[in-house]
Formats: sequence, structure tokens, C-alpha cells
Amino acid sequence: MGLFTRRRKPASDTGGLGVSLIALRLDEGDVAPAAATVVVFNAAGHARRCSAGKVSCEQGESVFCFHPGPYTVDLAPFAAAPEWGLRLRFVVDAANPRVTQQRFDLYLYSETAGRLELADFAAAAEIALQAELAQGALELPPCTSLEEWHAFRAGLNQLMYTRYGVTVDDCVPVDLGEQVDFAEVLKARVQRAAEADRQAAPAPAPAETPPGRSGETHTLSAAPPTAAAPQLNAASCEAVSSPSPIVLPAAQQDARALRRLFLELPVLSSELRLLALPAGLPVFQQHQALLLRLGMAILNVNTMPALAWAAPDQPLSPEAQARRTAQTLVAQTALDEAWSLLARLQLASPEQWPQLLDDADRICANLETGLSLRRSPHLPRMEPSL
Amino acid sequence: MTTLSITAVPTNAECRCMLADGRILTITASRRPRANRADVKCTVPGAPAVAERMQEVVRLARHTEVRFDSRDQVVLSMDITPPIEDREWELAAVLADRMVRGLHAIPAKALYAQGSSDAWHLGSIQGEVNTDPPISQALLITHLGALTGHADPSASVSTVRTWFPLHSGRINDALGWVEVSVFPIDSDAAPIEESANATHTAAANSEEDTIAAPGLDLTVQQEVRQTLAGARHFDGKGLGRWRSVVRFGQPRFQGGSYQLALVMADRLARGREFVPRGRIIATGCSTAWHAGRVETVDDREPKLELIMRQAAAGDRVLLPKDWHDQLPPGYASELRQKGASVACIDRIGMI
Repeated sequence: MGLFTRRRKPASDTGGLGVSLIALRLDEGDVAPAAATVVVFNAAGHARRCSAGKVSCEQGESVFCFHPGPYTVDLAPFAAAPEWGLRLRFVVDAANPRVTQQRFDLYLYSETAGRLELADFAAAAEIALQAELAQGALELPPCTSLEEWHAFRAGLNQLMYTRYGVTVDDCVPVDLGEQVDFAEVLKARVQRAAEADRQAAPAPAPAETPPGRSGETHTLSAAPPTAAAPQLNAASCEAVSSPSPIVLPAAQQDARALRRLFLELPVLSSELRLLALPAGLPVFQQHQALLLRLGMAILNVNTMPALAWAAPDQPLSPEAQARRTAQTLVAQTALDEAWSLLARLQLASPEQWPQLLDDADRICANLETGLSLRRSPHLPRMEPSL
Repeated sequence: MTTLSITAVPTNAECRCMLADGRILTITASRRPRANRADVKCTVPGAPAVAERMQEVVRLARHTEVRFDSRDQVVLSMDITPPIEDREWELAAVLADRMVRGLHAIPAKALYAQGSSDAWHLGSIQGEVNTDPPISQALLITHLGALTGHADPSASVSTVRTWFPLHSGRINDALGWVEVSVFPIDSDAAPIEESANATHTAAANSEEDTIAAPGLDLTVQQEVRQTLAGARHFDGKGLGRWRSVVRFGQPRFQGGSYQLALVMADRLARGREFVPRGRIIATGCSTAWHAGRVETVDDREPKLELIMRQAAAGDRVLLPKDWHDQLPPGYASELRQKGASVACIDRIGMI
């Protein structure tokens, strides 16, 4: 009847787009700036790109707009060497007509909550790069020779394109000594340790307890699941340079991770299917087995039970929910690793395939373990330790 | 799935520990397909509490690893029962768990490790590792990354260790290590800051005063100081910021081939060099560190042989440029098979 018309909310703030903001979500009626590209996702998640201008969309559609760049970010490839970095210039390329879904569109749809700030993107890319280097998937050793640098650049370009859908334009090693002072970092550690000591002093906790992290000492009987490893490791690395970021509630983390798995696993699996295999039966069989296992994992994700319930009328305790969430995050880490594995497989020579397929086996096993432990409402009874 | 991971690694490994009462405890780790069982399983004869503690220690220590692999189950067992209050076996359990999964090289001789920690998930630890207790010298470590010479990410003093080949008549050839610890100079030490802007000699002299090398004889001490001051001058942002201590694993040696290892350790400790996954093994000297030049050293063949024997996965081998054409055929590819990489350089820094 039009008695209660919706109040017009203020238009989205597109300031900084192309400078400090890569993409943002728009609403019906907003106007995208001229240089930007608009991506409309329909209810089924299919994307179409249109030109900038006033946004019009139908019911159930969501709209993002992004600026192609170029953007420049400084990344520190090693947490232990904050003064030595890489300066990366990248663009969001025009749509590749040979693929049905652009990787960047998928990235926007599955991982971007509202605004994709350049700083957030740089932090995510830095973590991905550090993980790759720590695992040995990319090599950037001290006194890098020219061939090693070229190999690293090729791997990095492919990683950024496969994982985030951005095209690396230029990448040079830079001295970040002007921005980061390692001496100050060390001094800050002294201060933090002193502060933690001061806080711990009046507490009745035993002196041997590490300050600030008193949750896990040998007096604690139940060890946390191994599963939390990557998060915890990342957190301890992160603690070196910056205070830990805001932690989402468990339910939200779980929902986001499951949504990512739901959206990205089918795409990942079809990209893996498209790879050109080297000749030979063993590789073919392993590849088929890998695709089959990924298909089963997709089915597993699609039918995942709710976080908060063990069964109808049986709510789960917060601890059990936290355990389940940790397992979802394991599966999400495996998904991230699978994207970088895809990047390596796309560049691999035939003699590298067996080793990479072994890695694929590991990633699949991690994915399956995480998903099956997420599915079970209680920790399955393990064999006794004696 | 019943597949096991990396087949190149043996499915058994053991690590020993000298208990406080003098007995030697052997921790044996074995690996088998996980098949939906617990990831770590521990058995200790007659002491379930120790077994439970061992499982907890190993799981916490795995938090410091970057690569998560859920395919294997590791079973750890002790041959004798340690007293419940003796916790020095913890490091041995962690090392056995790492060796059997290929994360730590399995040495030819049995490895002895003592050490315990209250914060295994951070990797901090007070312990020592030794390959041949009565003869060889123990490697003291304060956190797990120190096994490969890395700096502790939570310590306020940045300490990095690198290795260099010591040639002494083939049979006694060994890798020696050099360790550089740096910590920031307090801001009230203004005179040094000012002189850094003055002439090179003045800056270098005051820089040399901030470098201590205890336990060395005077000529070596002087050489170490000049080397570091020169290399920091080349670095541009190295002068006047740090107070440094240099220690050698074996202080009695001759020659200057340790210099490259020393310079690399210094750059890593100051956070101004890409970090290798494993150790740095370097040999090389220079007459002009202030220009970043690396020059050749003697005893090429025995040193190359030694490096080939000792290199493990992730290690980075740095050699002088002059050796590039004289490397034995297939040397680089053989190292690459071991997971290590080699570079022949004529100057330090990027490319």
C-alpha cells in the first residue's frame, strides 16, 4: 500500500576506490564510479560483469564494483626479516573470455564481506606468500640468483592469479628499512614482556606459567586438537609485529569457512580437471582419484549438519561447537593450500608431478579429516593411549 | 585411505636422552597410516601419566610447524620408565616425532637430546642436542627454530646461527657454527648515532666498539669486528643501531673462511635478509666487505665433500663465485635432490 516506504539509506561511500579500496558492495540505486567495473551475482552465484553507472539489480542479486587498479603493496615475505620486502604492483585484469567464471569474481563473492580494502588484501596475500615460502612451495633463499628469482616470480604470478585472480604487473625486492625498524620491534618485545610480567605478578598463577598465554600448560589435561596448528602458528607469528586482529565469534567463523568451501570446492575441482596431464597411467589414475575425493568432499560440505545441534533437541555445548569450528578451519586451510597447489600444478614440469600429487594427497587427507571431525557432534572415541 | 606420506623417510626413528639419574632413555617413534586413529599415540611401560604427558608435549610442539599432515599416525614409546618429576626427555620425544616425519634430518649416529618446556606451542625450550655426548660439543638451544639457526620470534634479542665448513685433515672435518646476537642500542647512546653520519672510518671505529666476541684471541676478535663493521657499512642501514655479540662453536681455528657465514648471520639477525628454510652453510672471505664483495677461499674439494655429506633438506649453501666453474659435475643437482640449494656468489645482497 506504500504506507511504510523504506527509508532511503545513504549511498555507499566509493571514495578511495582504486587507491586504498579495491572493491565494495553496492546496493540498488547506488552509482558506480566511471572507471570501475560492476559485477552482479544472481541468486545462484553466477556472475556477470557490466559497465559502471547506476546499479540496477533484481531481487536476490548482489552487486559489487571494483576498480582495476593498478595497486601497489609492500609485502614482507618472511616474518623474521621485516626490513626486507617485495614491492608488488598488480591489476585486476579484464575478464578472460575463455573461462566461465572469473577467479576474481569468485574471490569477491566468497571471501569479501563488504569492502575489500587494499590493506586487508595485502595482509591476506602476505600470509599466503609466507605460508608458501615456509612450506617450500616457493623459494626465495638468501643471495637469490637470477634463475631462482625468475622461478620465484613465475610461481608468485601464478599464485596471485590462481588464488586471488589478480595479475601481478611488477615485483621488485625493496628495502623496507624506512617503514619498519627492526630495532623498534625488538624494543617493543621487551616492553610487552615487562608489561606481561607486571600483569602476571599479582596473579596467583605459578611463576613458570608463560605470561599472557596461561591457557596451555602441562597442568592442562586435554591437549587442544592438532587441528588448530595453522591458526595458532599464524597467530604467534603475527604477534611479532602487530596486535592480533579482531576474532570473529565461532559460529560466524564456521559459517564463513563452510560458505567458502561450498562455493570454491566445485570451481577448484573443475580447474583441476582442466589441467594438462603428463603422459602415463599412474599420474592419470592419481588424478582421477584426486577428483573423486574432491567430489566426495563437496558432497560432504553440501550436507554438513548445523553447528549448534548434535541431534534434534540436543544442543551442543559451546566447547563442542568451538571444537567443530576448529575442524572447519582445518578444512579451510586445506582449501587455501589446494589453490596454491593448483597454481603449482599449472606450472609443473612432468618430473614434478609425482611430488605434487603426493602433496595433493596430503591436502585431500587434511580436508577429509577436518570435514569428518566437523560432522561428528562429539569427539570420536580414540584408541586408549596405553 | 591407507597411503603413507613421503616414502623416502624411514618409518622408524629414535632419539636418546640422558636422564638425571644417569640412565639412558631411548624414545622410538614409528609411523603408520592413520586410518581414523589418533594422530599421536604414546606408550610408556607402567606409567600412563608419562605417556599422557608425552602425547600432550608432541601435540603442542606440532603447533610450531607450518605443514600439517593428517595421513600418518606416529607411535612413540620409551624403553625405560623415567621418574615422573624428570621432564628432560620432552625434547627427545619432540625430535623423534619430527625425525620420523622427515622434518628433522636423521643423523648417522644416535641423537641425544635433553630439554623441557612449559610453552611447547611457542617452541620455546631450554635444552641441548648432541650427537656424540662424551666427545662432541652439545648444541644449546632456547627454542625449536634454533636447531636450524633461526631467530626466536618472541625474544627481544635476535640470535641467528650459521654454519661453515672447518677443514682439518679430512677425517676431522666438521661444520663449525658462528652465532650473532644483536640487540638495539638504547636511544641515549647519541654519540654513536651522530658519528654514523661522519666519515666512514669514524663510523666504523665506533661500530667496532659495539661488537663483542668473547673467548677469541685478539687478532681474530679484531678481524670479526672489522668484518662486521664493513658489512654493515655496505648494508646502508646497519651502522649505529645495534650492540652485538659473536660466539663461535669452536673458537680455535685458522683462516678467514668463516667470514661469509658471519656476515650472513649478522644480516639475518638484523632482519635484513631473506630467511632460508633450513640452515645457512657458507664459506668465503673478503678483503672489501664494505663493498659487499665475496672472495675465494682454500681447500675447495674437502669442503665441498663435507658440505655434501652434511646438507639436509631446506639448507642454503653459499660458495664463492670462483668455485662455480670447478664444482664437481652434478653437484648442484645432487644437493637439490637432498632438498638443499646452492649459490655461488661474488657479492652479498639481492641477486
